[in-house]
Amino acid sequence: METSIRKPPALLSSPRSNGIQAKLWAVARHLPVALAGLCMLVPFLWMVSASLMTPQEITGSPPSLLPAHAQWQNYAHVTGVVPLFRSYLNSIVVSAGATVGVLLTSSLCGYSFAKFTYPGRDALFVLTISSLMIPPFAVVIPLFWLVKQFGWIDTYMGLIVPSIFSGYGVFMMRQFLLTFPNDLLDAARIDGASEPRIFWQVVMPLTGPALATLGAFTFVAMWNGFLWPLLIVQSQDMQTIPLALNSLRVYGAEAQSHNLQMAGTALGVIPALVLFVFLQRYFSRGIVLTGLQG
Amino acid sequence: MAVETIRAPVARRAPRIAASRMLWGYLFACPAILGIMVFSLGPILFAFWVSVHQWNLISPIPDMVFVGLRNYVDVATSDVFRAAFRNTVEFTVVGVGINTVLGLLLALLLNQRLRVRAFWRTLFFLPLVTPPLALGIMWTSLLDRNYGAINAVLSRLHLAPQPFLASPDQALASIIAIAVYQYVGMYVIIYLAGLQGIPQDYYDAAAVDGAGSWQSLRYITLPLLRPVFLFIVVTNTIGALQVFDVVFAATTGGAQTSGGGPANSTMVVVLDMYNTAFKFFEMGPATAMAVILFAITLLVTLAQLRLLRPRM
Repeated sequence: METSIRKPPALLSSPRSNGIQAKLWAVARHLPVALAGLCMLVPFLWMVSASLMTPQEITGSPPSLLPAHAQWQNYAHVTGVVPLFRSYLNSIVVSAGATVGVLLTSSLCGYSFAKFTYPGRDALFVLTISSLMIPPFAVVIPLFWLVKQFGWIDTYMGLIVPSIFSGYGVFMMRQFLLTFPNDLLDAARIDGASEPRIFWQVVMPLTGPALATLGAFTFVAMWNGFLWPLLIVQSQDMQTIPLALNSLRVYGAEAQSHNLQMAGTALGVIPALVLFVFLQRYFSRGIVLTGLQG
Repeated sequence: MAVETIRAPVARRAPRIAASRMLWGYLFACPAILGIMVFSLGPILFAFWVSVHQWNLISPIPDMVFVGLRNYVDVATSDVFRAAFRNTVEFTVVGVGINTVLGLLLALLLNQRLRVRAFWRTLFFLPLVTPPLALGIMWTSLLDRNYGAINAVLSRLHLAPQPFLASPDQALASIIAIAVYQYVGMYVIIYLAGLQGIPQDYYDAAAVDGAGSWQSLRYITLPLLRPVFLFIVVTNTIGALQVFDVVFAATTGGAQTSGGGPANSTMVVVLDMYNTAFKFFEMGPATAMAVILFAITLLVTLAQLRLLRPRM
């Protein structure tokens, strides 16, 4: 959040009080960033442009950059090839389910580590931290077997449950809750409130920022996850968005309809992007919360 | 005086309260701890165990055949894995290296503008929240030798169109470029957060002492960014070693079968592991690969933490 005005600390600070020169300099300073920013947009622009081309335009030689006439019907065609609406639904269910699960279990556990003392607490915390060292891919194969034993292959359970228990989430909530005022807790206890009630009615409402950040991270990570759903999902109507895009990619390559492939990708990517852009604030804050504390 | 009288009655009841509170402490921690043990720690131990056996995932556990370290030997001598390992390391070193510098530059530039900064930052944020698979699809299309936009632009400039992902020489560089594109935003955002945490007074004091821009940068900004720098480099190295989605999107399906690009020039470890486990159903070698990469990741992380530890 931009609060006070920060003077440029380095690089391009050259005070020029002359009007025109100052303006030119301002533009020049903007330029590298603007260029880089536009580069970020290029793949998206191409995706939209290609999605509106005819098959001839897209495989033409030399390849075209812009369609002659926008073929909006490509978008209609694509929904016939891959069940995008169903995939959206699946992605929403999976991401939201996992997010709620992570928020609940992580805040409960973080609260326990931060505000309770019992034998073995610190050992358990170390255990939690060590799980952070385990990269996802390393456990994918055993997890697959485990999930298979539970009969959760190709189900929402299989997609959601393994991701609910996050050492990262516990760590983050614990750090945040360490600074939670004890007076509030003591006051509630003196008033006779039970521990669960204290957690739910005193602690949770006041952890909004941390929950929002953890929630944003978890939601986006689940939404974009590919390797795990690739293994778990076997039927087309359980696909999440990345899986649907993958099917579309394979289809597009085989059927030589790259324009449809781009249309599908655009449909799959843009709506979620619009939402995630609004979450940007929580990301920056979250990164600050975790990153700078080393 | 008032404090002591309040405390006395509480102290007498303390043991009973403490016990019940301890119980709640355990209870609250239970779901997460159990979950982590079942879905994280348990599986990694299971992976270690499987890696010294031969197993096809389908037959029951007791039928697993113990083969000692043979899986590790097979993996270490496999051409595909060696290519995968080499590529993964190259990808990680070059990708993280480029982004570390590029991200810092962009963050420094962005740190100066006020009003429009949010807009530019949003642009850098976009690739971060797009599914990596989708980015792989978009870039594969952009880089296509026949109809990709990049070659279209090149041919209009009368330059030779490049094969990019179709060529053993350029494929890995292309993948690295995609990864740089995808993650530079994360570096920018984190560096920016770090830069904003540096008090303006330091710069003012330095200016009073006659320090120029470059000196400010070198003696104030960079040292104070060290914790942030460490965080970014460590997390992104770990992430880069696990690259999968982009390579999968760029090199599987259609005409190719196992992926990994022309002559395995973009094969990476996780992809090799995926193929070995879920195409060839050889769980032993696959988990051996997982263990090897896990060990490397741990070592590299510890080394980085050691070397880059902020001395403040």
